[in-house]
Amino acid sequence: MEQALILICGIIAIATAVMVIFSRNTVHSAMWMVGHCFILAVLFLLLKFQFIAILQVIVYAGAIMMFIIYAIMMLNLRVSDESAEPLKNVLNGRYLLVALLLIGLFIIGVGFGPMALKGSMTDPAMIKFGEVELLSNYIFAEGLLPFELVSVLLTAAIVGAVYLAKKD
Amino acid sequence: MVEYQNIYLTLSAILFTIGCGGVITRKNAIVVFLCIEIMLGAVNLAFVTFSRANSSPEGIFMVMCIMAVAAAEAAVGLAIFVLLYRKTGSINIDKFNLLKW
Repeated sequence: MEQALILICGIIAIATAVMVIFSRNTVHSAMWMVGHCFILAVLFLLLKFQFIAILQVIVYAGAIMMFIIYAIMMLNLRVSDESAEPLKNVLNGRYLLVALLLIGLFIIGVGFGPMALKGSMTDPAMIKFGEVELLSNYIFAEGLLPFELVSVLLTAAIVGAVYLAKKD
Repeated sequence: MVEYQNIYLTLSAILFTIGCGGVITRKNAIVVFLCIEIMLGAVNLAFVTFSRANSSPEGIFMVMCIMAVAAAEAAVGLAIFVLLYRKTGSINIDKFNLLKW
C-alpha cells in the first residue's frame, strides 16, 4: 500500500518536473513547479516528517514561488523568447553528460544500500517528544553556528536584493 | 530504517537529472531558475531519506539550511533578473554576456 503510494507520488513528481521544462509559457512552468513542491511535501509526509512537509509548502510553494510568479508578471514574460525554437539537437553531447550524471548518482546513492547508524530521532523518541523538539534540541546544541550564519545570510540577501533592484 | 530507501533515492536521482537537463537545455532565465529549484528539491528528498534511514536530525537540519539558502537565492536572483531585463530587454540567458571578455 505504502509502496504503491510512493510510486504514484514519484511518477507525479517526475511528470510535473518534466512539465516545468517542456512548458512553453513561463507562467505554466511556474504553476507546474508549485505542483511539484506540493508533491515533494507529500513525499516528506510519507517519510513521516510532518514539520519538513509543512515547511516545504510554506517556504517553497508559498514564498519562493510567489517571488517567481511576481517577477514573471512584473517582467511581462507570458510567452518566452525561445518559443519559436523547439528542442532540437536532441542527440547532443550534453545530453550524454546528463545521462552519465544519472548513472553516477545511481551508483553513489542507490548502490550503497541501507546504512545502520543510530541517531537520536528514533521512532519511539519521535512519538514521545515530537519531531520539532528533537530537531530544536539538535539545532540549539550542535548546529547553533550554522543556524546563526543562515540568519546573517538572509539579512545579506535582503539588503543585496534591495540594493540591486533599486532604481538609481 | 526506512524500507523503501532505494525508491526514494532513485526518485531523487531522476529528479536531479531532470533539473540538470533543464538547466543546460532551456534559454529562459526564469525556467533555468526553476530547474535549479527542482535540483534543490531532489537533494532535499535525499537528505530527508537519509535522515529517516539513520534516524538522525542532521539531514533535517541540512534541509532547513537548504531552504533558507534557496529563499536567499530567489531574492537575489530575481533582483538580478529584473536588473538584466532593464538592461537588455529580455531574459534570454544567451544575451547575458557582460562578463565575457
